[in-house]
Amino acid sequence: MRSVEARIFEITQDASGSVTAWIACPPSAVPAPGRYSLATVVGNSDAVLPVTLFASQVSEHGFLAASPLPASWIPGLSLRLRGPLGKGFNLPEGTRRLALVTCGDSNSRLAALAQQAAAGGADIAWFTDVPLPPVPAAYEVNPLRLLPEALDWADFLALDAPLPRLAGLRGVLGIRSEQRLPCPAQVLVYTPMPCGGMAECGACAVPARRGWKLACQDGPVFDLDDLDW
Amino acid sequence: MPKSDLFFNPPVMNAAGSLGFAPDQRSGRDWSRLGAFITNPISFGRRSPALGTRFVPYPGGFLLHTGYPNPGFNAALRRYAPAWQRSPLPVIVHLLAQNLEEAASMLRRLEGREGVMGVELGLPPGVESEAARLLVEVAQGEIALIVRLPLEQALELAPAVIAAGAAALSLGAPRGALPDAAGKVVEGRLYGPAVFPQALQVVRQLARLELPVIASGGVYSERDASLLLEAGAVAVQLDASLWLG
Repeated sequence: MRSVEARIFEITQDASGSVTAWIACPPSAVPAPGRYSLATVVGNSDAVLPVTLFASQVSEHGFLAASPLPASWIPGLSLRLRGPLGKGFNLPEGTRRLALVTCGDSNSRLAALAQQAAAGGADIAWFTDVPLPPVPAAYEVNPLRLLPEALDWADFLALDAPLPRLAGLRGVLGIRSEQRLPCPAQVLVYTPMPCGGMAECGACAVPARRGWKLACQDGPVFDLDDLDW
Repeated sequence: MPKSDLFFNPPVMNAAGSLGFAPDQRSGRDWSRLGAFITNPISFGRRSPALGTRFVPYPGGFLLHTGYPNPGFNAALRRYAPAWQRSPLPVIVHLLAQNLEEAASMLRRLEGREGVMGVELGLPPGVESEAARLLVEVAQGEIALIVRLPLEQALELAPAVIAAGAAALSLGAPRGALPDAAGKVVEGRLYGPAVFPQALQVVRQLARLELPVIASGGVYSERDASLLLEAGAVAVQLDASLWLG
């Protein structure tokens, strides 16, 4: 039940309507790429559930949290953060060529991983059909349809996919059911996690090779080999 | 403890499905704030999560359609009974029984189990009064029995269930239907502050009949809990508000 105090430092909205919020918090509260924190507004008696936050950028003062965010959030608001929770991306040491794949409607949950990998000297190739905000010139940005051509290039594949799109990943990757990927791959399965790991409520259940797994506790980042996709 | 003398101190507990299958003693939660721990629903056989959309938010609440995933009674006993024994507060095991035989079998195996103070038997929506009565009768034994009634049928079923021997009644989440993001209508249980007025009304009606009811439904504040206790509830269950941390 540990939680820390945090504060919304800045809120921005880009031309596409995507809202981001800089959260000032202790370094220990910043979720690593793929992990998440749960936020409640201090003194707000109207909250139904906490807000799930992923870091799309990290700084020494906190992190940039991306949409979806409550419309009622304004700069200066005090938050209580629980977490970081769940399992995030585990980039192997020595990864030199990272392929990022956005299968949903947001690039934000992969951005912190890109930041981390680039800082470690990796080349980044991002495959997405969702408009990206300005990214470093060194990032190569491609449409999703070019992904199959890049599979032999990548050392590691990091995907972000809403749960309903998990079943269609083979089509996105351009591989047949019996084919194995040529490199390690992890996927952040984006799905509502209402209990935040407290209840095993089953709302975030993800089909696995054996039974099912819970995104809130076992994920939301999974080794692709462990899932039934 | 005599099975008709259910007593909770404090008169607050979690609702089934809100805190897992056993108290997580690594969570840092102050367990002294609850008078009992209710497990997630456990069925005789293993249940998988529901397919398709399982969570639909709406103003004032959300709809859940999870299918009550659980490993099945035998596996649940193996995994969680040791934790129930070590629990810092009394445990009430929530059971889902499809028929009389399942109910009787599961209840017998819980009797005398250390740490388990009682059973909460979940009745399915649409259950008829006679079927409810029979389920409660076959569930009678040495263990305190709370029967969870579908909220919409609480007044209809309550008298027969108490007459059949239930020590207390609890209230299930009301059911509803909402379209998901793809427009497909999902049916499920409703949670959130918007549910509270319904819960308070049912508690008031049951209390007039002098029936022991453990209230739940949209309790998000101490004031909500106090109102239910003042309305006649013997205890209050918290559900999704626990997820706020």
